[in-house]
Amino acid sequence: MSFLRELGLMAAGLVVLAVLPAVIHDVYLRHLLIMVYVYGVVASSWDLSLGYGGIFNFGHLALFGVGLYAYGMLTKLLGLDPWLALLASGAAAALAAAIMAGPILRLKGIYIVLVSFAFSQLVLQLIISESDYTGGNSGLVRIPALAIPGHNMVRDAKLGYYYIALGLLGASTLCLRLFVRAPIGRSAIALRDNEEYAVSRGISLARQRLITLCMSAVFTGMAGGFYGGYFRNASTDVFGIGLTTLLLSMVLLGGRATIYGALLASFLLTFLAEAIADLGAWRPIIIGVLIILVMLVYPGGLHAALQAGVQRVGTLGRRRTRPLL
Amino acid sequence: MTVLVQILLSALFMGSLYAMMAVGLALVWTTIGVFNFCHGVFMTLGAYVAWQFVSPDAFGLPMAVSLPLSMLVVAAFGFLLQAAVVRPFIGRGDVVLVAVITTLAASSALENGTQLVWGPRPLGLPALIEGNVDFHGIGISLHQVAIIVITPIILGAVWLFLNRMRLGLALRAVAQNEDACHLVGINVTALYALAFGLAAALAALAGVFFGGFKFMSPQMGTEPLSKALVVVIFGGVANISGPIMAAYIIALFEAISTYVIGFYWTPALLFAVLIAVLMVKPEGLFSGRTRGLA
Amino acid sequence: MADLLEIENLESGYGRIRILHGVSIATTGNRNVGLFGPNGHGKTTLLRTISGLIRAWSGTIRFDGTDITRMAPRHIVELGLIHVPQGNRLFPDLTIRETLRLGAWPSRARADEAANADRVVAIFPKLRERWNQQVRTLSGGERQMVSIGVALMSHPRLLVLDEPTLGLAPRLKDELCAAIKRISDEGVPLVVVEQDVEFLLDLADHLYLVNHGEIATEIRPGEMMNHQAIMEMYFGKQVGPLT
Repeated sequence: MSFLRELGLMAAGLVVLAVLPAVIHDVYLRHLLIMVYVYGVVASSWDLSLGYGGIFNFGHLALFGVGLYAYGMLTKLLGLDPWLALLASGAAAALAAAIMAGPILRLKGIYIVLVSFAFSQLVLQLIISESDYTGGNSGLVRIPALAIPGHNMVRDAKLGYYYIALGLLGASTLCLRLFVRAPIGRSAIALRDNEEYAVSRGISLARQRLITLCMSAVFTGMAGGFYGGYFRNASTDVFGIGLTTLLLSMVLLGGRATIYGALLASFLLTFLAEAIADLGAWRPIIIGVLIILVMLVYPGGLHAALQAGVQRVGTLGRRRTRPLL
Repeated sequence: MTVLVQILLSALFMGSLYAMMAVGLALVWTTIGVFNFCHGVFMTLGAYVAWQFVSPDAFGLPMAVSLPLSMLVVAAFGFLLQAAVVRPFIGRGDVVLVAVITTLAASSALENGTQLVWGPRPLGLPALIEGNVDFHGIGISLHQVAIIVITPIILGAVWLFLNRMRLGLALRAVAQNEDACHLVGINVTALYALAFGLAAALAALAGVFFGGFKFMSPQMGTEPLSKALVVVIFGGVANISGPIMAAYIIALFEAISTYVIGFYWTPALLFAVLIAVLMVKPEGLFSGRTRGLA
Repeated sequence: MADLLEIENLESGYGRIRILHGVSIATTGNRNVGLFGPNGHGKTTLLRTISGLIRAWSGTIRFDGTDITRMAPRHIVELGLIHVPQGNRLFPDLTIRETLRLGAWPSRARADEAANADRVVAIFPKLRERWNQQVRTLSGGERQMVSIGVALMSHPRLLVLDEPTLGLAPRLKDELCAAIKRISDEGVPLVVVEQDVEFLLDLADHLYLVNHGEIATEIRPGEMMNHQAIMEMYFGKQVGPLT
């Protein structure tokens, strides 16, 4: 699909989402959609490093956490303007990604998983131990909120936050898709598919990994910052296994190396998770079992399943041709 | 002198724990070739199932019976679990990644399942052997002594199995060339199940070790899993002896570091050293080369 | 004597791509059979279907009267049909000793493990020098020797070899050819796929030319063979009469 066409579809989608609040007035539903957008940004960014870059990055949620705490500390402790802090949280996450990339630059497969996981644990440790600044295990509270000048953020049934989140989603998706279609994105894919060949053709493995990881971190960090400005508190829960599982599921269920797949899965999984939120301990069980079932049936993810479905619909009415041989 | 003994004992004890935790993880990695995120929850299950057998509120069996029973039950569970979350994906190019997500999902489900069955309140297991003993002025529980003694025996048995017995050889072979295994008449599917079940049994044992001196909780497996990861990275996965040696070395390092810079900062230092080691030697300290995957 | 291996109208392939279009082959009693033909025309697929690594789409394969078409590879191995694949990577981290030990995995091979090991060393003396070395440190030729050695450890009733001398230097090739000839002389029936038709002619007098996933020609034992015609077949010139 040509990029113009894709841009057009993206714009159309954004318009639809922008108009949604006109029909959806329920605060809770709007909140859910905001979560969909936030998780969507994080998941689609993860798709960049994992799906396109082939980097088994298990520190991705730590980048989210870095953004969250960066925003919290900058606004609460330093009194920085929330919007600047939002941008800074993206930068902080990118910096963290660069640091994490250091050891990973030349590792293979499973070792990247282990090191990035270790890195995320390290960040968690740091946050817990520096409790004077970070609130340690209790977390940060009363973080200054994002504010749109001249607009009352509290009485508008989350409309303001909705549009900020949607804006973030739009910007993130646009940048990610641009990245993926640009030579830099192609290099990442080349490295993923056949590392030795790509390197022999002059693609720098280290530089490419660094760039891909940082790119995946920018909007993730900003999503973390938004999370802080929206919920107005930060805790170490975001480093937990629960959120990692949920978001990784979005990437894998949606279909890797699509960006959009993760967004779709974010929509489905967020609503699903909320729908069964009351079930207490049953909830992770159901989610866990569902993930396994979906992976068994659709290892290629929803995106692949959807594409297959679309293809089949497209051939309806046409006679099925026999295979060539 | 007392300090030295203290450090050594601590290193021996924690090293044994770490080794027992890591060996199951390394087993699955060196044979099936995937990273099993369920490993932590197998430890948890081992502790809880043992509690179910041994607790006077439940079956009230002696520890000597409950321990092997628990290992058997968890092993059987491991057998079944791998059929659902690992076996269907063997042969796919991205099996490592898919197995990560499925085992992660399964572990999340199992952790909460444990909570549902046994409740959130902390439970405790009786020690393997009750009582304490004095060693050069340091008090050490017999439970810890038991662990220090049992672990090398079990690990030695595992090493012998993998390197001297034909079945163990077959287990190692399965990860290296599945087709060649078929052509020699090996039942690859059964071996995957065996590896997983064996790893689960070892994890269960580690869990029972823990349960004897720490309060059990449904989340008790997360931290040991994290630790086991570190051990496996340090030790490399080319050979089962790598993680075993790494476990004791890391425990020694931690014991010394705790004494020097304190308990609080040791984990961070450990991670930092880990990352530094990996930058120099990506395949781990004891590995000859990277395990060829991805 | 019953034919050891009978294949009728075998069809198989990968995914949706059909490679074998109704292949029929039969050994004459216990005699060796050679398969040759241009690359990429199904010889390897045929062998992999026989040993069960690939599922047959249709047709039958009979080994000594038993229908093995839908059998799992390990059951076929238990019956004594042993396949040595092309360019076998084997088990890179295992030593020669460990690999050969694994070769004796089938239950019928266990009793004769020691005797078979001696036999392997007798045929490939070079392996003794590297007995405790890991397979990945071996040269291509040595790996091929281990490959065949492993098969011998499985106590084969029929040995299926896929291009055993592929990619080897001429001197090694000769060594390997001599070894294979010796194995055959010791009484193991062979089905061999080879590019080197000269070698095949030395081993077997029953040959099949596999072309485009079909049997293009069969040369039965006792028939006269026109060497020139075979070469022309190979290099694409017009097919002439074989006798």
